[in-house]
Amino acid sequence: MDLTQNEKKLLMALGPLGSADPSRLAKLLSAPEEAVIQYAYLLQDRGLAIVERKVVKHFTLTGEGRNYAEHGLPERQLLESFVESIPMAELTRHPLAKIGIGQMRRKGWITIRDGLVEKTGTSGAGDDEAALQDPSEGKKGIDDLLKRGLVQETEEVSYRISLTPTGTALAARGIEIRGETGTLSRDQIISGGWKELNLRRYTVDKLPRRVFPGKIHPYQRLIEEMRQILLQMGFEEIYGGIVQSAFWNFDALFQPQDHPAREMQDTFYLKEQVCLPPVFEKVRDMHLHGGTTSSTGWGGTWSEQKASQCVLRTHSTSLTIRHLADHPDPPVKAFSISRVYRREAIDPTHLPEFEQLEGIVMDEGVNFSHLLGFLKEFYTRMGFAGVRFRPGYFPYTEPSVEPEVYVPSLGWVEMGGAGIFREEVTAPLGLEHPVLAWGLGVSRIAMLRLGLTDLRLLYRSDIEWVRDTPTILPEQIPGGD
Amino acid sequence: MAIITLPYHYLERLTGVDRNLIISRLPMLGSDIERVEDDHVDVEFFPNRPDLFSVEGVARALRGFLGKETGLPEYRVNPSGMKFTVDPGLATIRPILGSAVIRGVSFDEEAILSIMGLQEALHWAVGRGRSKVAIGIHDLDTVTPPFHYLASERTRKFVPLDYEHELTMEEILAQHPKGRMYSHVVNDFPRFPLIVDDLDRVLSFPPIINGELTRVTTETRNLLLDTTGTDERAVRTAVNIICTAMAETGAVIESVEIEGMRWPDLSAAVRYVRTNDCNRLLGTGLSPDEMAALFRKMRYGATPAKEDLVRVEVPCYRSDIMHDWDLFEDVAIAYGYEQFAVGISPTFTIGKPHPVYGIGSLVRQVLTGFGFIEVIPFTLSNEAVMFTRMHRPVPDDVLRVMHPITEDHTLLRTDLLPLLLEICQLNRHRELPQRVFCVGDVVRGVDTFQKTAWVSIHPAADFTEAYAHAEAICRELALPFTVGESEDPAFIDGRRGDILVNGNPAGMFGEIHPAVLNAFELEHSVAAMELDLRALPGYPGSPGTP
Repeated sequence: MDLTQNEKKLLMALGPLGSADPSRLAKLLSAPEEAVIQYAYLLQDRGLAIVERKVVKHFTLTGEGRNYAEHGLPERQLLESFVESIPMAELTRHPLAKIGIGQMRRKGWITIRDGLVEKTGTSGAGDDEAALQDPSEGKKGIDDLLKRGLVQETEEVSYRISLTPTGTALAARGIEIRGETGTLSRDQIISGGWKELNLRRYTVDKLPRRVFPGKIHPYQRLIEEMRQILLQMGFEEIYGGIVQSAFWNFDALFQPQDHPAREMQDTFYLKEQVCLPPVFEKVRDMHLHGGTTSSTGWGGTWSEQKASQCVLRTHSTSLTIRHLADHPDPPVKAFSISRVYRREAIDPTHLPEFEQLEGIVMDEGVNFSHLLGFLKEFYTRMGFAGVRFRPGYFPYTEPSVEPEVYVPSLGWVEMGGAGIFREEVTAPLGLEHPVLAWGLGVSRIAMLRLGLTDLRLLYRSDIEWVRDTPTILPEQIPGGD
Repeated sequence: MAIITLPYHYLERLTGVDRNLIISRLPMLGSDIERVEDDHVDVEFFPNRPDLFSVEGVARALRGFLGKETGLPEYRVNPSGMKFTVDPGLATIRPILGSAVIRGVSFDEEAILSIMGLQEALHWAVGRGRSKVAIGIHDLDTVTPPFHYLASERTRKFVPLDYEHELTMEEILAQHPKGRMYSHVVNDFPRFPLIVDDLDRVLSFPPIINGELTRVTTETRNLLLDTTGTDERAVRTAVNIICTAMAETGAVIESVEIEGMRWPDLSAAVRYVRTNDCNRLLGTGLSPDEMAALFRKMRYGATPAKEDLVRVEVPCYRSDIMHDWDLFEDVAIAYGYEQFAVGISPTFTIGKPHPVYGIGSLVRQVLTGFGFIEVIPFTLSNEAVMFTRMHRPVPDDVLRVMHPITEDHTLLRTDLLPLLLEICQLNRHRELPQRVFCVGDVVRGVDTFQKTAWVSIHPAADFTEAYAHAEAICRELALPFTVGESEDPAFIDGRRGDILVNGNPAGMFGEIHPAVLNAFELEHSVAAMELDLRALPGYPGSPGTP
């Protein structure tokens, strides 16, 4: 049995006594009484001692109680102040009338009729009056006096510590009490001196000082999780510049040049301009009249200058469309998770920059039903229980779909957009097969998964929040479904 | 966003369908329910479907979608005998005019609200804030045809809507609420567009304001529509959508002759589409008959033709139908998105991380191994944080945005270190030591590339900590580097080093200068390092160039 130093000392002190109170043991151990009681409980847990805790209640008269003990309760004094009967008006002038009249009526000593107070004849001394003379525990009537504030209750706790037979036997055998060692030294380890040491025991009841590991940001971990899902699904990752020409950001995606989303109030424009790639003429023709397809195009005019202007990419589709232009042969399965920019004022749910996930599949024979299949697979792997689809609208996809996922606390939540790139988008780039495309706001998922109500916390991080957010989120079981 | 208010009893009257069924099916037609109220529902329709921006248009689509009335809605147009002349001087100002006469309207408050709502939504979605198209609706019985669309003197006077006295057109732009809101559309022209009747009375100053003369009230029975703009297709769309919506309420549409052309033309356009193309796109196995039936549900006329062709009549209000696939999407909607079998394509590809992100992951591993906590600050920053507080000069190739929203976000970050110091500033009240790092994009000129940086703030942070960690990190990243004296003013002289790769600077480390600490309101010393990840072996050529 591994007793601590203090437990041993207490056991040895108790040995010759068998039983003692804490104050005596405290003197023997040179320790505070509270500490002795604590050690005694530890011994009790090991079956070596018994701690008896006795609580004795004492009742003492309050100042008011002492006064009444001497002169009688107010109702008694009041009763004795008149003979058979007295007009109410007169009795109320007595200094104790306020307390006494009610008590006399309650005890049935008087009746009051037509303003006259008459004695009933019963007025024997009650339990309360007896208890007032001798306020000790268990007396009838003491509760009444407590309620009336005439006596007060105090508790006295006393302990008695005794050895059990096992404890007595152990103490009789004798226990060696040696000095304790905290940190092991190199010498003690290599010399074998450790064998003689009494290593200090530590308790595990109290939590240690908090330390914090180096840590990947919780949001980055979520991004990494999505990345891994897409890599596992066979997608190639794309990286590209924050700065894109309006051509790749808008025109190549068949966004008309007068589209509201292209206006200054929604897009961060830059004064820089870049040269257009040779394919721009085909894109221009598509806008003007539908090029060589069955499309009518947008009509109107198309300006090279507008297309050459640089913007901060407003969506990661500017990266996927460039990837397709560079890789026109099937199959292509690619994705990007990158920061995109909107000219929005900052508030808890809107930021001028945030992450967007974008996936594309281009292959012979891929169709709308496959698109729904990829979406369902991705969201299921992200841990969402239900996925459903509604018609949507995006300028560069047709058909378009808005996937929704089921979140127990919120119901169905819109989770991004998807569709098949319009032929007006794919034809000018020489793509001959359908392109399934889908995107989603990564921060939306982060808010759900990390339980955030303010997106700003992701980017202007409170270090304490990062420290406190566990690496494994409660609902996330690695490798689980 | 076009949010359309649909009062239940008006919608129920127009569709003959119960409100609960409507609310449950509307999203599957393509809309977002914004609010469900006791007497109405507010619904957002997509900007490609301006024909759904009125209760009448929604009812027409719902009747088909819910199977109450399918196929092409037919709209008759009778000649009114009225004419419009167009001043050639408008060719460079606002050349296109569309018009129609709408007879026998019975305006109650709900119908007026619906038509005004439609007008506003069209101004937004089709008219691009009235610059491309603007719509005026007049009480026909207050004016005398023929009408004249003129390029007028800017000083011409008339009483604008909601006014009791005459103003010149220039005064209207300066004083009238609508004038101030839309003056930018016409202000640069020497003459202004104006519509008058044969007695030279003003109907409208497009695209700004109508005259008080032709105000529409609940007493109005006959309407004259003027639609002006710069793009004929858009003007036609607006005219067709308004006329067909009014016809849905029982009004009779009559044509107006403009320069020899009859407006409006509410006949359907005919397209032939192949059932096989549709099945290939959607992954369905529809027959031409089935596809034609689905088209009719979406209010197209549709009949199977030879082979797998289907002859589709596209209603005149469907301006969004540009391509066969637009039609196929409607087949999918009629089929029901919830009915689709889902399956993954057999496309075989092998997943491949991008080297830039691969390097980023490794850098994170190394830095978290040293005990650093990651943060991911904004890439938008400002000159004060990026340079002034760092005591660093502003480089020539810093990229500034043209119309920043706040002073905090005027440029793209060129470095990460200033943002880490800003994070420390935000966390001044948090327990020390704080050791944070970041991996991410920076921009120089128009090129994007990645850097990493770390800071360590605590009372004992010093050059030794910075150097030891910088050396260890470079070692872990297999970076063949040498170290030289640095002149970076953000660090203390004599306690700073440059990381050189092939003799070129790739980063720096050291103890942050107390003046910089003061600028960021930090009270303890900071050891820090920043590294350009392009220096690492395996970083690809120039993936971040526009």
